[in-house]
Amino acid sequence: MASVPSSSSSSPSQPKTRKKPGQNSSPAPPPQTKWRTGTQERLYSRRLVDALRATRDRTQVQESVGSRAVKEAADSALALTARGQSRWSRAILFGRNSCRRKLLVKAGGKIRRHRRKQHGVPPVAAEPGVLKEQKVKERLRKLGRLVPGCRKLPAATLLEEAADYVAALELQVRTMRALADALSAATVSAPEEEETAAVDPMAIAEQGS
Amino acid sequence: MSSRRSHSRHSNASRITEEEINELVSKLQMMLPDAPIRRNSRVSARKVLQETCSYIRSLHQEVDDLSEKLSELLASTDTDSAEAAILRSLLMQ
Repeated sequence: MASVPSSSSSSPSQPKTRKKPGQNSSPAPPPQTKWRTGTQERLYSRRLVDALRATRDRTQVQESVGSRAVKEAADSALALTARGQSRWSRAILFGRNSCRRKLLVKAGGKIRRHRRKQHGVPPVAAEPGVLKEQKVKERLRKLGRLVPGCRKLPAATLLEEAADYVAALELQVRTMRALADALSAATVSAPEEEETAAVDPMAIAEQGS
Repeated sequence: MSSRRSHSRHSNASRITEEEINELVSKLQMMLPDAPIRRNSRVSARKVLQETCSYIRSLHQEVDDLSEKLSELLASTDTDSAEAAILRSLLMQ
């Protein structure tokens, strides 16, 4: 889990042109490329849509979907797309499913009860020289608080998780933005067109001319 | 550079070398949106971490804003056009 791949920086990231059908193989691709494949985007958007639809069906009786529900659905979908291969995704998933407080108090995951900001002993592992500085340690701690479930990790693992998390968040933002654009386009044009009519003039306009 | 390991309680089970740490830090640095080509290992680890934190925070903020927008949109559109829009956005990728 904490292994650093030796061929990490072999090739620069080529968004959407690299298709990796089998990502379960042991050499893990670097986060930039891993999260930018078209496959991942499709996977995530599909999961996001399903999660949103499920959320909407659940709350249709009472009220409209709240923004927090949307965000939670998006986060869960993101964590699912990570397939539990990273710690933050597992932390998100476990936080949703079971009774949050009871289970995570034992695991010491992302519960905010144990918020020890300035306790005496900093979490130390075998750390090389550059990480011994105080400010670096502070930043690392900040980072650990931002990434879910990564508060007590050693530095290298935390850095890996952070890189993965950043790439995943970028994917999330991209997908949600595309979805919001598509929805707002639908909202604007909804009263005028029907479903079948919506597809044809667009297709004809793009290809016919 | 002497890597002091006098504090290591969990010993060298994972044996994280300084080089690996630096590699990870530079990997993070490359992911930041701030023209990473400019930086040729001149940025300190501290700064990279700081920028990573603020970047993650801004990404969180964007996700929140988008969630709000999406929830509003979902509330205002009826099911059929929402489904159509969703299908369209899926197909466009």
